[in-house]
Amino acid sequence: MPTLLEIQRAMRRSLVQGDSTAVSAMLAAQISPDRLDIYRNTFLLTLTRALRLCFPVVQKLVGEEFFEGAAQIFVAEHPPRSAWLDQYGSAFPDFLHAFSPAESVPYLSDVARLEWAVSGALHAPDTEPLDINRLASISSEDQRRIRLIAEPSINLLYLAYPADAIWRAVLAGDDAELAAIDLACGHVHLLIERRATGVEVEHLQAEPWQFLARLCAGEPIAAAIDPNSDFGFASALAEHLSLGRFASFELIPSQAEDQG
Amino acid sequence: MLMSPRNISGTNAIPAQAGIGLRFQHHQAVVDARPDVPWLEVHTENYMGGGTPIRYLEAIRRDTPISLHGVGLSLGSAEGIDPAHLARIHKVVERIEPGLVSEHIAWNMIGGEYLADLMPLPMTEEALDVVCRHVDQTQNYLKRRILVENPSTYVAFGNSIIPEWEFMAAVAARTGCGILCDVNNICVSAHNHGWDASAYIAALPIDVVGEIHLAGHSIRSLADGSTLRIDDHGSRISEEVWTLYRQAITRFGAVPTLIEWDNDVPPFDVLLQEAGRAASLIASKERRARADAA
Repeated sequence: MPTLLEIQRAMRRSLVQGDSTAVSAMLAAQISPDRLDIYRNTFLLTLTRALRLCFPVVQKLVGEEFFEGAAQIFVAEHPPRSAWLDQYGSAFPDFLHAFSPAESVPYLSDVARLEWAVSGALHAPDTEPLDINRLASISSEDQRRIRLIAEPSINLLYLAYPADAIWRAVLAGDDAELAAIDLACGHVHLLIERRATGVEVEHLQAEPWQFLARLCAGEPIAAAIDPNSDFGFASALAEHLSLGRFASFELIPSQAEDQG
Repeated sequence: MLMSPRNISGTNAIPAQAGIGLRFQHHQAVVDARPDVPWLEVHTENYMGGGTPIRYLEAIRRDTPISLHGVGLSLGSAEGIDPAHLARIHKVVERIEPGLVSEHIAWNMIGGEYLADLMPLPMTEEALDVVCRHVDQTQNYLKRRILVENPSTYVAFGNSIIPEWEFMAAVAARTGCGILCDVNNICVSAHNHGWDASAYIAALPIDVVGEIHLAGHSIRSLADGSTLRIDDHGSRISEEVWTLYRQAITRFGAVPTLIEWDNDVPPFDVLLQEAGRAASLIASKERRARADAA
């Protein structure tokens, strides 16, 4: 008699790999193995639907049938790691990038990266913005050790194609706009975040994007500022703080102080 | 920042009336129109993040008691339940303060992967022990009683030795949890396995049934000429299920009853009509009970 774990592994093999040999032998005598198709179909349909919800523009770009075919291959290669399906699909952009049938749409994976960031912003946890007074109360000698922690919906993307323009044109259903996009315009620097009014996708210049990216990566504020640049770091930082782009901060432990 | 009020008065308790499964399509309609529905149930997994969904639910719960119904805890997983998922459920429970919390007698996590369906368990002593251990773990972690729902299944395993209704009763008896009696699932599974649906209901213990689910199912023909009932929650409740529902409330008394509709979700009015039918059956059952008592 198979154990519970053996049955569950055999069922997984049937659903994910389409191989029902082992589990068929574990079924009650009167049960036709054809019935296992119901579970495999639900597995594929549910997860394809989850991907469709997360990547609607990718689907519009390649068509429903192509999307479904790609999604089913992806689902079998990358089943979700949890039942919280809002978090399912992080590997889909890389999958599309390497998916040879999609080669003729070179910007597809960049659009997918943008949609994944938008979805992440939609579902990011709620946090209170950092109280600027708390930051001001740090003594001047400790200020160089301040490291900011980004508000969780914030995502910064550096993409080879103008995915934001493509995304907007497809969402607006504007074919003329889509046709007018210059795919060779070079890399774009994007900021994706959830504001009170909804998720925003903003096009930044290289320097402000790099500064924000350094801060979000946890570099101390002092280190993220390039002294040789005439970019207005102080006003940029003030704007990020006033817009609530940071949730909290921490002080990087100082070696000297630990020893002293 | 929206703050949810503390329902110290106990207004978050789920009344023994007909409620509706709330889906995203109806968030705005429910907030705007405040339809006359005594309670609502949502899938816990849809509110684990921040942003708009949980904000709608916080707004709705100010006036309407909420039940949280999970699909992903995988109480029947041989490898244990995912503590991170249990922690996520706990966070939603703390924020929404639901009147009821429920899960399924099923599994869907294996090897750290989620199979995205409610998978059937073999009805064995081993599976019963595993489920009971996980119900205990869940109730201890959440510090509250949960309800567990009987599954709809399409296959059965050769090593199953416990009738499903006995398995359900044993989980409740051993762990102190309640039973969420899904009458549609009983109808579906009874057809698919050749059981007597009416006898299933008659075999469930009376006092532990804390909620009833009603939904639509479809019928599919198989290659061998037989038919399979599919629990797809995509249509009106069948007459057969309404008949079983009358039997269920006669046996279990008036208990909170939910209309579930997940695929091809209709306008909210259609759900209100289905809930109205359940409500009138509950009311006439209660009139009869009062007349019998007089």
